[in-house]
Parts: sequence; structure tokens; C-alpha cells
Amino acid sequence: MTISSAQIFRQGIGSILEHQEGLARTQLQISSGKRILNPSDDPSGAVKTLDIQEQISTANQHLRNDQFARTELYLAEGAMTGAQNVLQRVRELMIQANNDTQSESTRGGIATEVRARLDELVALANTRNASGDYLFAGYSLDSQPFSISAGSVTYNGDQGQRRIQVGPSSFIPISDPGVDVFQRIKTGNGVIAVDNNPANIGSGIVNSYSQKTNFVSDTYTLTFSKAGPSAPITYQVAGAVAGPVASGNYVSGETITFNGVSMVVEGVPADTDAFTINPSVNQDVFATLNNIIKALESPSTAAADNSRLHNEMNEGLNNLDRALDNFLRVRSNIGSRLNNLDSQSDVNENFLLRMKEAMSEVQDLDFAEAISNLKAQSVALEAAQKVFIEVQGLSLFDFL
Amino acid sequence: MAGLLGIATSGLSSIQQALSTAGHNIANVNTEGYSRQIAEFQTLPSQRMGGQYIGSGVEVGDIRRAYDSFVVDELRTRTSKLGFAASFESLSASLDKLAGDGDNGLSPALQGFFDAVQDVASDPGSLSARQILLADAQVLTDRFSQLSNSLSGFERETNSKIRSAVSEINGMVVNIAKLNSDITLALGNGGQPNDLLDQRDRLLAELSSKVGISTLKQSDGSINVFAGKGQSLVIGGESSQLVVTDNPLYPGRLEVGVTRAGGQVSIISDQLKDGALKGAIDFRTRVLDPAISELGRLALGITELFNAQHRLGVDLNGQLGGDFFSPISSVTIPSGSNIGTAAVSFTIDDVTQLEASDYRMLYNGSAWEITRTSDGSITSGAGPTFTLDGISISVAGAPVPGPSAGDNFLLRPVYGAAEQFGLKLSSAVQFAAGTPVLSDLAFTNSGSADINELRVNSTTGLPLAGPITLTYDSSAGGYTGGPTGTLAFNPATESGGKSFTLTGFGDLSFTLSGIPRDGDVITLEPGTGAPGDNRNALLLGAMQSERLLGGGSATFGESYSGMIGGIGVATRQARANLQAESSLMDNAIATRDSISGVNLEQEAAELVRLQQAYQAAAQLVAITDTLFQTLLGATRR
Repeated sequence: MTISSAQIFRQGIGSILEHQEGLARTQLQISSGKRILNPSDDPSGAVKTLDIQEQISTANQHLRNDQFARTELYLAEGAMTGAQNVLQRVRELMIQANNDTQSESTRGGIATEVRARLDELVALANTRNASGDYLFAGYSLDSQPFSISAGSVTYNGDQGQRRIQVGPSSFIPISDPGVDVFQRIKTGNGVIAVDNNPANIGSGIVNSYSQKTNFVSDTYTLTFSKAGPSAPITYQVAGAVAGPVASGNYVSGETITFNGVSMVVEGVPADTDAFTINPSVNQDVFATLNNIIKALESPSTAAADNSRLHNEMNEGLNNLDRALDNFLRVRSNIGSRLNNLDSQSDVNENFLLRMKEAMSEVQDLDFAEAISNLKAQSVALEAAQKVFIEVQGLSLFDFL
Repeated sequence: MAGLLGIATSGLSSIQQALSTAGHNIANVNTEGYSRQIAEFQTLPSQRMGGQYIGSGVEVGDIRRAYDSFVVDELRTRTSKLGFAASFESLSASLDKLAGDGDNGLSPALQGFFDAVQDVASDPGSLSARQILLADAQVLTDRFSQLSNSLSGFERETNSKIRSAVSEINGMVVNIAKLNSDITLALGNGGQPNDLLDQRDRLLAELSSKVGISTLKQSDGSINVFAGKGQSLVIGGESSQLVVTDNPLYPGRLEVGVTRAGGQVSIISDQLKDGALKGAIDFRTRVLDPAISELGRLALGITELFNAQHRLGVDLNGQLGGDFFSPISSVTIPSGSNIGTAAVSFTIDDVTQLEASDYRMLYNGSAWEITRTSDGSITSGAGPTFTLDGISISVAGAPVPGPSAGDNFLLRPVYGAAEQFGLKLSSAVQFAAGTPVLSDLAFTNSGSADINELRVNSTTGLPLAGPITLTYDSSAGGYTGGPTGTLAFNPATESGGKSFTLTGFGDLSFTLSGIPRDGDVITLEPGTGAPGDNRNALLLGAMQSERLLGGGSATFGESYSGMIGGIGVATRQARANLQAESSLMDNAIATRDSISGVNLEQEAAELVRLQQAYQAAAQLVAITDTLFQTLLGATRR
């Protein structure tokens, strides 16, 4: 086949251009470190790069959220530790005050300290974070959640619980509304509570009480009667709905049972002395402390005052323990959220690492390969140039 | 003696002509489209003398081109295909470069925007986080409009390519017609006008690189040229012109047309085959339109879905959320050539079901045919309403006087949405991070009733006129006081949780659980925009990873990367096609050159051969002279 001179030229120059183009491409790859320069180089790789990039950014954002959540939760945990310490201290003080060796004035001193602890607790409940937001105000972070007026504490927040996204489908609560932490606390033992009738004049003290599952919810009144000075003390229990449910002769320290409730009264109750047994209701921890202070500060002159104090201290201790239980619950919730965060951030970090590996696999250039390509391409270019010169140099006209 | 001299001079002159031809070949070694010429010797008629035929010399009978029409036709076809591939590839490659620019793409802006939403969700009361969100939303807006501008730039570039290709074609057909006349004339005078033939072939090759043509050789030597489906460009010495005309359906889109008798222009873009012109036209429908539609669907999807969720929220002022992004309107374009009075309109019912496509609606005289342009699938029916791909189409004005057969409309739900994408929210305070309903358990509750998963699902009945108080009453068998009647709840079996929806009151959905006691109260209060309420911001932020588009097949990010991938695939195919066509073209050129090309070595050898022959013929003149002198010397005395 005849090959035209123009064709020989075209072929020579064409192969030189082709090699040059390849060389320039490899050079660009090496200087950018990327395998894919344009989507058409590897369309599925380019799509993968974009998708992975998004995954990486999202995981980074989740880690950022994680940090934010941690800060909030640590703060809340600190506040809860403080609150627990306050209640522990009050508990010690109460046990101290519940001793008969205390006088009215020493109890007054104890009351003063409990009052100081109450203020401390309110301050803890109003803890703010670095940006000035209240931790325990629910969604209303800009309004102080607890305010004291006329000795009682009111909640100004709402019942919202803030959550934060720390994983593709993982939303971690980062706050607890103050009402759940400090206020929604059951009285007594959590199911029933015993109230001392303020008019009691005997020395009857409720030593303990409990209920079984067959407890019938009602408000019961335990009333003592004594017909005459030498008559025995009898008791009668009547439910507001159920009517009389139990009665008998009173023996100090002996268990009285009715409708699933067992209770032990000690001492000598007077005629018409009474106790009420109610289903537990919610009472905030501030009210509990206020009641304790009130009991400690009330005059203690008559014998009846003493037993009332003991009854109120016992009830106060019960309520305080419920508050402590609740604080513990909140703290362990916070602890488990922090644990969740830890495991979630491990997941996120691992995910990030895997995604970065995947990214580098898709996108990054294999330098060893690229450089050996570069060498091969430059050798080929050189060869093409030499061949071109050689071939162009051949001409019959040189010999004419 | 005279015969001998005659033979010698005929040799000398013939060989000179052949030398000239060789010289012409050498001189034209680099002339595009030149065909090697060959001088063909033939003997002069012999003379009868003394009963014998004696030769009387040589002449050049013909100077012909080394030419194979089949090979040249093949070359022309390859030129057309290469022209198509090259123009398609070059446009795709520019688009590919644009798509490959990761830093200026949509991805970082989209990511930045959703990161900012998450930051607001972390710290919803922070005004600075909200400001950053607005700033990032503006970045997203800018990026959309920038991308959309770049894509419309390609539409304009395609238009200008069509315009320039058509004007080049029009110039070439005039020249071809002129050459046709010249060639016919030259052939009439006898002899082959080789160089004119070459010139015409070269013009035909150039023309075929612009548009695919078919040729028909006539007996008078002229060639008739047709484009597309028999649209004549050159008939003998006459040429017809192509025109550039507006597409009646697509505003701002140019098409190739011809002027029919009577001045009416008909569009022949679809009939064209191959060539750079078709490459530009096909790039538009195969690469550019899908990309613009996909970007539009993404813009529309983000706008509609984000707005819908944003409207279900409450801002810092306690107001229900408004539109976060500016609403986008879609268009229906009636064809300029419609003669009926029907009007077609459509509404988007479900953004998540939208396809990235336009729809062409054509009335065929008895029914409407709706063609989805992205894949050509057709839905047909009498109407007047149609529902498909998340849109509802309705035809008004039919049937009397009704649409006429052939009337058509272009429906563009998503096309152009990207350029309308914009931020509507002006104040950071108006970002609705909260949910407009707050649940509240009464402090006096003695049971363990709880409410969870409270969610607002509609703006109907929002904001709530007042608190909804749900009071548990075992005798009523559930919670009373709800606006939709008693919510039946049996603590014995349903304490694990039971879901409710309050239709007509924000379509509130929630789960009640626990064991309530009689008189326990759960309140649903109107939210006042507490600064810490981030519930709606969380829902908005979570949209990033939800597959909300394409019937639940793609997230926002995946929708964009799908568009990039589409461009990449198209460009890759175009490149592969170009490479294949280039090498086929090289083969075709090599084949043609092996027949028609000039090889200098061959010409050098020819020169040597002719030189020797010339020397010999000259020697014959000398011998004749010697013979003549001898004869003269013998008779002088």
C-alpha cells in the first residue's frame, strides 16, 4: 500500500501529540494528587467522592454536636452532684436535729443552715451554661427557671427536653426540665405518705409504714380514742371512700394493718389524736426543705411539740430521700447519655476513618504508578520524536 | 528522417508533460484534498509505409486523478461522524470541567447550609448561629444561581454554535453549486478538470464535517447534495439555504430550519444526522437538559420540602414559620403555532415524586399524548385532568371550541427552578427552630401518665387557639377534653404507648403511655417560641440525610452527585466515541491517501524514469541530426 508523504508526517506528529497529551495529564494528576480530575475520568468514582465527602462532613458535624452535648451534660452533672451534696448535708442536719438532746435554740441554728442550703439548691437549679442559658429551664433557656417569692419557689420554665443529633439516627437528650428534676418528686415512700394532724397532743410517733401491692388507693384517717382515764386506747381506721376498714386496741409498737397498709405507731397517743395516710402526691424539693425549716423553727415547749417534731422530721426525711432518689435517677440518666455519647463518638470516629480511607481509595492518586507512567510516557514521547526525525530525514531526493 | 524527428519531438513533449504532472504532484504534496495526478502515455497512430505500419511516436492521452469514489464517500461519512463526535465531546468536556470543579460545586454549599441548621439545633437561642445559617443559605442561593447561569451559558453557546455552523454551511453550498457549474462547463470542453474536482471534494468533506450529507452524482459531472431526510442543499448549479429559527416551545432555543415555498419555515433539527451541527443539538437534549432539570428538581425539592417543614415550626417571636426559601413557580409554554383555545396548566402535588424532566403535551385530534422528555415515555388519554409523577395537569377550554389536532404545550415543572432559587427569610429571629405545640404534664398528676413523640404534621388549625387539656377519666375509657372527642386509652393494656392524631389541630401526633390516675391532666399548649426549643431545627437538619427526592431514591446531596455523574458518564461516552471515530477517520484517510495521496519517493523515482526517457528522446534528435549530416555530406560534391 502506498503511504502518502502527508500521511507519514501526520502519523509522526499525531503520535507525538498523543504522547504529549498523556504526559500533561499525568503531570496534572501528580501535581494535584488526584486520580479523578474531571467527572468523566471516572463517573462512578466522582459520584462516590461527592457522596463520601457529604458523609464525612456530616460525621464531622455530628462530632461537633457531640462536643456541645458533652459540655451541657457535664454542666448538668456537676449541678446534680452539688444538689445531691446539699441534700446529704440537710439529711445529716436533720438527724442531728431529730435528737431529743437538741434545744429550741440549737434547732434554730440548724434551721438557719438548712435555709442556707435551700438557697444553695435554688442557685444550683438556676445553673447557667457558658452562653448564659439556664440548664434546667426546658426550652425557655432565657428565663430563670426557679424564683423564690414569699418563701415558696415557682418554676418559670417549660417541660421541654432539648435533644441533639450525634449520629445518623441518634438523638441524645441534653437537658432535663427543672420540673422533672426538682419538683416532680413523690412524697412519703413514693406510694403513700403519712401526715401528722397538727392538733395532736399525745406522744404517738409514726415509726414506719409500708404497703403491699393490694393497697387500695384512698385517704385513710387513723384516729385514736380513749373513753376514760383508765380505759384502753383504741384505734379506728376509716377511708374517705372505703369507710371504716380496721379498728382495735392500740399497743405501742404493734403493727396496724388495713387495705394493704402496715404501719407501726409508738408512744402514747391522746384521745382524738389522728394521722392521715394519703396516696403520695408530687411535692417539690424546695417545699420539702421549707417544711423541714418550718418544723425546726416551730416552738418546742410542750411535750406534744416534741413528738410533732419527730413525726415531721421522719416525714421530712422520707421526702428528702425521695428527692435524693430523683436526683440519683437524673444523674444516672446523664451518665448513661454520656456513655451513649462515648460509644456514638467512637462509632463516628470509626466511620470517619473508614470514609476517609474509602475517599482516598476512590480519589487519591497512586503516586508510584503515576510516576512510573510519567517515565514510560516520556520515554515513548522521546521515541516518537526520534522516529519522526529519522523518517522525515529519509528522502530519495537526497540522492538525486 | 522527418518521421524520426517527429517521433523524437513527440517523446520530448509528452515526457515534458509527464514531468510537469510529477512536478505538480510534488508541489501539491501538502495540499488538502489533492489527488495525485497521473499522465497516461499513448502511442500516436502509426503510418502505413511500404506495406508496414510504422510507429509515429507518443502523446499524453489523459491526465487523470488517482481516485476511488467509494473511498471518498466513505471518508465523507467518517468526516460527518467525527464532526458530530468532536462537537458533542467538546461541549460535554467543558460542562464536565465545570462539574468537576468541586470547590465551586453545590456540594460544599449544601453541606455548609445543613451544618448551619445543625448548629442552630445545638444552640437554638443563639442569634449568631442563626445569622450564620442565613449567611450559609445565601451561599447556597448564590451557588445555585451561579450553576444555573453556567448551564444557561451552555444553552447560549449551543445556540451560537448552531448559528455559526448554519452560516458556514450556507457559504459552502453556494461554492459547491458554483463548482458544479464550472465542472460541467469544463467537462463539456473535454479533459478532466482534476483540480476543480478536488476542490469540490474538499468542500464536500468540509460540509460533511458540519452536517451529514448524501450525494448523488449526475451525468453532467455535477453532484447533488442532500442533508437529513432528503432536504436538498445543492441541485446542479443551484443551492438552497438553511435558516436558524426559534423553537416555538422552548424559549431562547434555536433550531435549524428551511424556508418552504410560501415563506413558511419548518424545523428540520430532528431530521439531521451527524456533523458538528447535530452534535451541538444532541448535546443540548442529551446532556444539558437532563443536567438543568436535575438541578432544577433539586432546587425545587429543597425549597418546597424545607419550606413545608419550616412552616410547621415556630420562630423566636412565637410566630409560625413562613417560607424559608422563595417559592418557585413552574411554567407551561403553549406552542406559538397552536390554533386551538385550550389552556393547559399543572400543579405540583408531591415534590418527592417529581422526575427531572419536561413534559410535552400533544393533542392528536382525539386524545392528549403526554411525553416525558427524559425517557420518551408516553401517557395518553382524553383528559381533561391527568396525574403523573407527582404533578396534576388540567386542560381548560376543551372540548368546545377545544384544542386542534397538533396543538402542543411544554410543561416544565423543574426546568429553570435553579435560577429562581432564593432566600426568602430576612431576619434570623424568624427561623422557626421550635415546634408550635408544647406538652405539659400537670404537677398534680399522681399517676405515671406520659406523652412522647409529639409532632406537628400540618399547619391546619395552627397556631392552636388555646391549650388542649386532656384529662384522664377511667369511666369515659380514656382522656377527655380533646377537640376530637375522647382519646380511648386502656392503662391495663396500652401503658406501653399508644399513638394518637388530632386531625384538624395541626394534625398533632403523639404517643401516650404510662398508667394515669383519674383526674391526671396532660396539656398541649401553643408554643410561644422558647429560645431553647430546637425540635423543628432537628427535623429540618435531619432532612439532609433523608432520601426525599425521586420517589425516595435520593437525598439532596445524592441528587446533585447523580447530576454530576450523569455529565461524567455522558462525557466519557462522548470521549470514547470521539476516539473511535478519530481512529476510523485515520483509517479512512490512510485508505484514501494510499490511492490519492502524493508520495515524494514515488515522484522522485518517476522523475528519474522520465529524465532517462527524456535523455533518450533528446539523443534520438542528435541521431537524426547525425543521419541528416551524413546524408548531406554524401551529396555535397
